[in-house]
Amino acid sequence: MAGALRVSLNLESPTPAYRQIANDLRRHLVEERLKPGDLLPPVRQLAVDLGVHFNTVALAYRLLADEGWLELKRRRGAAVLERNAPRAVDRRHVDHLMQQLGQIVAELRSAGMSSRQISAALHRLAEGARS
Amino acid sequence: MTSAFWGMALVVTVNAVFFHAMPRFSRPDILFGVTVSEAFAAGAGRALVSRYRAIVWIGAAAALAILLLLQAPRDESGRGAMLMTGVMTGSIVFAHVAWQLARQKARAHAVPPSDVRVASLVTRDTSLPGGVLFAAGPFAILLATALLLYTYLDDVPDGPDTANPFGQLAFGAILVAMMLTMALTLTRRSRQIAVDGPAAAVEQRFRRVNALGLVLAGYAAAILMSAVAVKSIPALGDTLSGRWRFVLLPLMLFNFGATLWMLRVGQGGYRAVAPAARREVRGDATPDRAWIFDVYYVNPRDPAMWVENRFGLGYTLNYGNWRAWLLIIGMMLVPMVAGRLLF
Repeated sequence: MAGALRVSLNLESPTPAYRQIANDLRRHLVEERLKPGDLLPPVRQLAVDLGVHFNTVALAYRLLADEGWLELKRRRGAAVLERNAPRAVDRRHVDHLMQQLGQIVAELRSAGMSSRQISAALHRLAEGARS
Repeated sequence: MTSAFWGMALVVTVNAVFFHAMPRFSRPDILFGVTVSEAFAAGAGRALVSRYRAIVWIGAAAALAILLLLQAPRDESGRGAMLMTGVMTGSIVFAHVAWQLARQKARAHAVPPSDVRVASLVTRDTSLPGGVLFAAGPFAILLATALLLYTYLDDVPDGPDTANPFGQLAFGAILVAMMLTMALTLTRRSRQIAVDGPAAAVEQRFRRVNALGLVLAGYAAAILMSAVAVKSIPALGDTLSGRWRFVLLPLMLFNFGATLWMLRVGQGGYRAVAPAARREVRGDATPDRAWIFDVYYVNPRDPAMWVENRFGLGYTLNYGNWRAWLLIIGMMLVPMVAGRLLF
């Protein structure tokens, strides 16, 4: 596992804590900084370090396990799984994400970014996720 | 000058040295138990520390002067000794008051806790220092002593006024179990403040040295209770008496060395790394408002059982955590009940 792997939590964010943790972990998984076979810290250790309830971290791990990223291990945290082939596309979930992306693009446009800049930024993010 | 004077003068002086050094032990952005900016701690905060230290030493000097006046002429009634004890205690209270006054001043410069919390995704070693076999050593000592006593069963004194040596060994086992529970919960239920890099490595070493101290305290308890139990058998007690201290010597040496190391590196080992290596570390990840007199940490929302001390070095329990209360109740009740039932 590469060094400087972190998960962060913003207490002021409107996003629920378990979502923030899951989002950070997913980013590491997609960018392959967390590789198949890597072990994540036990739920209690991560909860103590972040100062949140154990259930918050457990919920984040379960979310990623449901997405096929992790295998939960009793008392030993979670192990990263091989996830080459995407599972069946959840149309509703994809639609929801696309709707969110549309809102973000609109906000970026109103903040002054051109569509070309937005397109380049999205391309960069997508390529970063693949590499 | 009487020996009582020298004894009390020593206590007053050691207390003053202890309070003088206290601000040095805290993490760099914690001043008198208050989270401040590192810039304030390194700048205006220094003047606050100097003033506090001057007050501590003025109190100690005044106490020494009064002790000097009180110890002559000798007071046969014992009133003089009582007064001297009062002065000594007063100097300790005075130093605490100086600390609290400085704390009040530091609170004006407190910084709010960060809204962002960061944790490492790298699993860390949460096993007992030395491993399970090493941790089982104290139980092995007690078991070996029990077997030894069993071979001398006819010599075991019997009667209502005689302590049962097997009861003493069982009591030792309870003490050892408590020490190991404390060590285990310290490694598993305390927060890692520095996320990664050398600051995190030294913080983990600091925590493990504390946990090792608890495991060794388990060894000391096992050896002492074995010594007490063996002493009750005349044939063994005479042979082994006095030799136990040689067994305890390495433990005492470790304790002394560990204390010196912790004094040198400060809380969480922060002084063992360069400032650049710990630039991301802010405070001790506990909110100021959860601390009562810098000594008691009460935060029911914090899942950590142990947190870094703000007054002194090492760790303290989170009194808002129900698991910590199980440990506290265990520490208080179990030895009391066991002592009554087993002796």
